[in-house]
Amino acid sequence: MNTSRARWDTRDLVRRLCHALVVARQVVDQLAPDGYADSEQPSNNLRPEKAISETALLLLAAESAAGQHPEVRAHVERVAQRLIPYARSERIKLALCMEPALALDYAHAHICLARLGYPDQDFDALLRQSVQSQAFTGRERPPHRMLEQLWSTDLWSGLDVSRRRSTSAVARLSQLNLPMDLLNGHREDIYAFTHALLYCSRFNLHPLQLPRPRRLILAEAEGALARCLDDQDYDLAGELLLAWPLTGKSWSPAAAFGFRVLAQVEDAAGFLPAPITRLDRVHRLQGLERLNYLLATSYHTVYVMGLLCAAALLPGRAPPVDISTEDAVRGTASRILNRLDASCPDMHWRNELDKMDHLQQDAIAGLLLDIAMHRAVRQRDFAGLHTLLQVGCASNLVDSPVASQVAEMLGRVAACHRARPVLSAGMEPVAPACEKSAASGSRH
Amino acid sequence: MSNRVSHQEIVRKLLETKSIDFNAIGKTVAEIGPSVSLADEPWDMFCGTMRTFLRLYILNPGTPGGGVENLGGLRNVAEELER
Repeated sequence: MNTSRARWDTRDLVRRLCHALVVARQVVDQLAPDGYADSEQPSNNLRPEKAISETALLLLAAESAAGQHPEVRAHVERVAQRLIPYARSERIKLALCMEPALALDYAHAHICLARLGYPDQDFDALLRQSVQSQAFTGRERPPHRMLEQLWSTDLWSGLDVSRRRSTSAVARLSQLNLPMDLLNGHREDIYAFTHALLYCSRFNLHPLQLPRPRRLILAEAEGALARCLDDQDYDLAGELLLAWPLTGKSWSPAAAFGFRVLAQVEDAAGFLPAPITRLDRVHRLQGLERLNYLLATSYHTVYVMGLLCAAALLPGRAPPVDISTEDAVRGTASRILNRLDASCPDMHWRNELDKMDHLQQDAIAGLLLDIAMHRAVRQRDFAGLHTLLQVGCASNLVDSPVASQVAEMLGRVAACHRARPVLSAGMEPVAPACEKSAASGSRH
Repeated sequence: MSNRVSHQEIVRKLLETKSIDFNAIGKTVAEIGPSVSLADEPWDMFCGTMRTFLRLYILNPGTPGGGVENLGGLRNVAEELER
């Protein structure tokens, strides 16, 4: 049984964070002036404000680790100096004048830079005018975006007791306090969860109390992580993994495994990649066009890995070196892997799993079951889901949000199957849509 | 008296008038689609009545490009991000 408490090598976390900061310097130089416009693939377009704001967030997170690691501090200072003219450019100032409802969004980089020790009183004065205007409240936002605004306000003007109370009330309205739709939710729904978590935990700078117990939040994060690892969506997987170091010191075996997968992919590719970076495009482009394409399509995932490593560098927050096998039940992983390997064997997470011994694999059997259920949901394989729940029950693995949501869904499908329409004489029966989907084998 | 309308009947009548030039719509979508897809708000096309019978949605692209590229291939260009 592996109960080693050894943590991930700090030097390796610093190296990965510094890599993100080196890329950040390029992002500032190349994308902060005008963003990126992709005539061939417009979904790659990037507004300069987004790159500026996200770079500032990375710097703020890195600063939390910089105190103990001079090389991180050197990178933070170098990028911050380059970012200042863009964070406080005439373009941003004009935006503060014209769109007060977005003032804190436009000023986010300025606020982070001020927090890092680069103040600007003239910019502050303009920002104050903007947030005191009537139009400041003119944008309705979902709870996670409200939490972002409240965090920016706290960073800018300091903590305020009554605002902190209202922030906690907003956190209770957010996805952090409500179960996610883990089976059919969209990427944006997961972003709502990860961002709410980020704005509540605040990189450990006066974090808010979580609106639900940590274990419930992490159980949801783990359910979503299974889907993202299997989709090789490392942008979201990285954001979900932040849930562990930003809320406490312990990492579940599944989370520790997830971190290992991302680290392995980053080492193999040289950076943590996103699906939107296409090599055929890279090879067709030359010079600055090529560099800007590469940066615009990859910087966000690179930053997420940087954020994750910065959070892991907080005292006591690094992931464990070894997967804990304390709660592993022998033989559970192989029962699920038989099904998974039949459908899609060549995933990055599978390579990492192969490096582990059987008992370590058993320790993440719950994650493997979640992956198998995500795949079955996607294929509308209701009979397969039923079998997986049976396997999970037999292995004591179904105490998870994904398993319970699958059970609820199968209950609904069964009810839908039973609820046949009452027909008038002479009418053809019309099968409910879900019955057609279920026709391939539901046992309910 | 019910004030419900038969949407299907209205659509059928509208189509029978052949007043909608689907070729022209296709051409328009091809021309403005890329920029519309970047708009902050959903966009729809209004077709001559008080109801919207033709609505063009921006579909969620999901995971674009069909997954992460070959990691070895990405490794060959990774250094360019750090120059």
